[in-house]
Amino acid sequence: MNALALGLLALAAAAPSPAPTRASETIAIRGGTVLTVGPQGMITNGTVLIRDGRIAAVGTDVAVPAGARVIDASGRYVIPGIIDAHSHTAIEGGVNECTDAVTAEVRIADVLDPHDVNIYRQLAGGVTSANLLHGSCNPIGGQNAVIKMRWGKGPADLVFAGAPPGVKFALGENPKRSNFRVPGVTRYPATRMGVEVVLRDAFRRAQDYKREWAEYDGKVKAAGAKGERPLAPRKDLELDELRDILDGKVYVHAHCYRADEILMLIHLADEFGFKIRTFQHVLEGYKVASEIAKHGAGASTFADFWGYKLEAFDAIPYNAAIMAAHGVNVSLNSDDDERARRLYWEAAKAVKYGGVSETEALKMVTLNPAWQLGVDKRVGSIEAGKDADIAIFSAHPFDPATRVEMTLVDGVVYFDRARDDGKGTIASAGGRR
Amino acid sequence: MRARPILAALLLAVLASPRGYAARGEVYALVGGRVFPVSGPVIEKGTVVFRDGLIEAVGAGVAPPIGARVIDVKGMTVTPGLVDGFGGVGLPAPRSGSAGGGSPAPAASPLAPQALSLDRVRLSEALKARDNGITTALVIPREGVLPGQSVLLNLGGEKLEGMVLRQPAALHLHMATLARAYPGSLMGTVAYARQALYDAARYRDEWKAYEAAARGRKRPAYDPALQAWQEVLTGKELLIVTASRENDVRRALALADEFKVRVAVADAPQAARVVELIKTRKLPLLVGVNFDPPRAPALFGTPDDEKERRDIEEAERNPAELHKAGASFALVSAYAPDFLAGVRKAIERGLPAEAALRAITLAPAEVLGVADRLGSLEAGKIANVVVWSGEPLAKDTKAKMVFVDGALYEPDEKPKPSPSPGTPSPSPSPSPAAEDLR
Repeated sequence: MNALALGLLALAAAAPSPAPTRASETIAIRGGTVLTVGPQGMITNGTVLIRDGRIAAVGTDVAVPAGARVIDASGRYVIPGIIDAHSHTAIEGGVNECTDAVTAEVRIADVLDPHDVNIYRQLAGGVTSANLLHGSCNPIGGQNAVIKMRWGKGPADLVFAGAPPGVKFALGENPKRSNFRVPGVTRYPATRMGVEVVLRDAFRRAQDYKREWAEYDGKVKAAGAKGERPLAPRKDLELDELRDILDGKVYVHAHCYRADEILMLIHLADEFGFKIRTFQHVLEGYKVASEIAKHGAGASTFADFWGYKLEAFDAIPYNAAIMAAHGVNVSLNSDDDERARRLYWEAAKAVKYGGVSETEALKMVTLNPAWQLGVDKRVGSIEAGKDADIAIFSAHPFDPATRVEMTLVDGVVYFDRARDDGKGTIASAGGRR
Repeated sequence: MRARPILAALLLAVLASPRGYAARGEVYALVGGRVFPVSGPVIEKGTVVFRDGLIEAVGAGVAPPIGARVIDVKGMTVTPGLVDGFGGVGLPAPRSGSAGGGSPAPAASPLAPQALSLDRVRLSEALKARDNGITTALVIPREGVLPGQSVLLNLGGEKLEGMVLRQPAALHLHMATLARAYPGSLMGTVAYARQALYDAARYRDEWKAYEAAARGRKRPAYDPALQAWQEVLTGKELLIVTASRENDVRRALALADEFKVRVAVADAPQAARVVELIKTRKLPLLVGVNFDPPRAPALFGTPDDEKERRDIEEAERNPAELHKAGASFALVSAYAPDFLAGVRKAIERGLPAEAALRAITLAPAEVLGVADRLGSLEAGKIANVVVWSGEPLAKDTKAKMVFVDGALYEPDEKPKPSPSPGTPSPSPSPSPAAEDLR
């Protein structure tokens, strides 16, 4: 291709801008009981004013400007959009790059499927954001993608811009493949010892890589502007991520079950000087809650799902409550397209088992996962200045008969039960299925 | 009983040899047919003259030059030779478990951008495509993720070397996965391609630095896989991405943007969903007509027959939808066992026949950068010409004469395999061309 054509290609690349994902209209959600999960607590007969896709004001005496679209929420409950810290929704062509023990170079963001009807179904469950994770096949898996449930938009529009990057880790039975033997296929590691060695080896390589690049940067600096530029080291997309973990720029979301492996990873992270952002599943977290809290990691667990494999036997329904009582930031996740549609009931279980307060329980599916994904300044509670990611329920979200009536992301209505045509579409949005 | 076919074959061989391949300076004039130049309107009673493998004149009032072999093609149609711009013409079938007889095809490496299709093409297999009027084919193995570099062949002649139009034609990336090796997931495939392009760029810089000042420097290691990417990085060689899903089209564009390389997409059964993007980006399209390819068995649960049916229907409508939306595209076999049956299916689903003919002649030549030399009936272009028994692409229409580089091949005249004893041998059909020439 000649230079002109290349230039045209570059121009064309810049030309199409993604569809606007932020609402331009002003919306007032009026008359509902607002569970802000923020400093304003619960507001009865409150108004949530939305402008430019963000929450402009919340309270009982908020003036509704002329021309605003009014959504009547009287008799209903208005809560922040639910956030699922562990999801495998909307991923195309496999959630695991299983063929190698370390695959930090693969990116979920490369394989988003915006037509996955589960996006719509989860909107119907009040979910507005999810952490799409690589699977747990290998000790170090791929890069996760935090998305917003912008049903009907393109793959790039799903991405939650500004959410910190992260990498999936996995400990225990899955990465050592004890339950997934394929005849004729073996892959190191096959034991928990091996998992630790893989991690240690990977971070030693990352340290070397970091040093190599630091030396190069030093040479470039020393040579100055007119000096001969030395050849750059090989850019290794896998080690790039691991180095960025060492530098605290990339989160670690670590799949785990047993207390011993949780402690192992904490010790290893301390040794290499990085932090685990979340322990995922973490069914034995209640045994090492203080250690998790001390490390500063969050814990994202199931309310009452266990016993599906040996390492998931020693679980209790009080796990979330006990970890929270020890100062751990706890979230309740789905890891499943079906459970993702009723995460509010998973939160209700934290009240039943362990006596967590309603607000704290609601936090476990809103503000806490928002912190775990590094987006708590943007979403997770209904506060002025935050994104207008909101779910409107027919009754209190912990009521066994409650259901989601409407879900907004950035002030755009993506689910409206009154306009649902039963085929997974509403008039304003829509996907392919 | 058994003597007749052998005699017939011998006779055919004798007849065929003098004009089996264009003798130097040979001149043909096809007279009186309905001519579809593709680059211009249909000529009702046109003449097509070609000399020494190149088209000399096309028109209504063209007189056959003195000394030309004049062939009366009244009642027949004349089109440019068809181009299969992406498929497996001439490649051995992939190894199947227990095929008896013959040596198995050499296993192609699934991750070898340096592999050359040219090395795997079987001449006699490739030439069979001419029976359907296909005179030009881009050949790349179907298997693998980085199956190597394709060759663009003109399907006439006795030696592969003489058939090459462009070598390598393009470097290929199938958005596919491997069964038991990296990349085993789509995200792995994207990551593999991204890392390969980074590595290729560094390899370029490494050698550039060495060549600039070799003394006192350690020689970089030669790497055939990274070497293979070099012309893609310069933009000279096309990167063809096989896009079986809607979003693979976006993935191909993302690679083009990230590494400033020139991409085309192949197959693309869901391209019509992103037609505006394709038009805006002027993305070259090689749209497959392999509408019902074999599908991988479902890993979990039961196969979704309903979704499969919808996918097939969407793929069949895809060319018509792209045309309606004003996109420019070629139709390619994409390994369909019967290329023309696929093209006819696209026509059945609403693609105008005229657009279909362009999509298998001039359009692929444009995508592959050879429209200055073939793809239409115009003076100066390669004399790839097909004479059809009736309306081009109609169901019962047969290729009667196929000229490749100006050399005549007659599908009807090819020796039939000997029938098994006891079955009556069919009487050889008279060839109109042979009579005209006598």
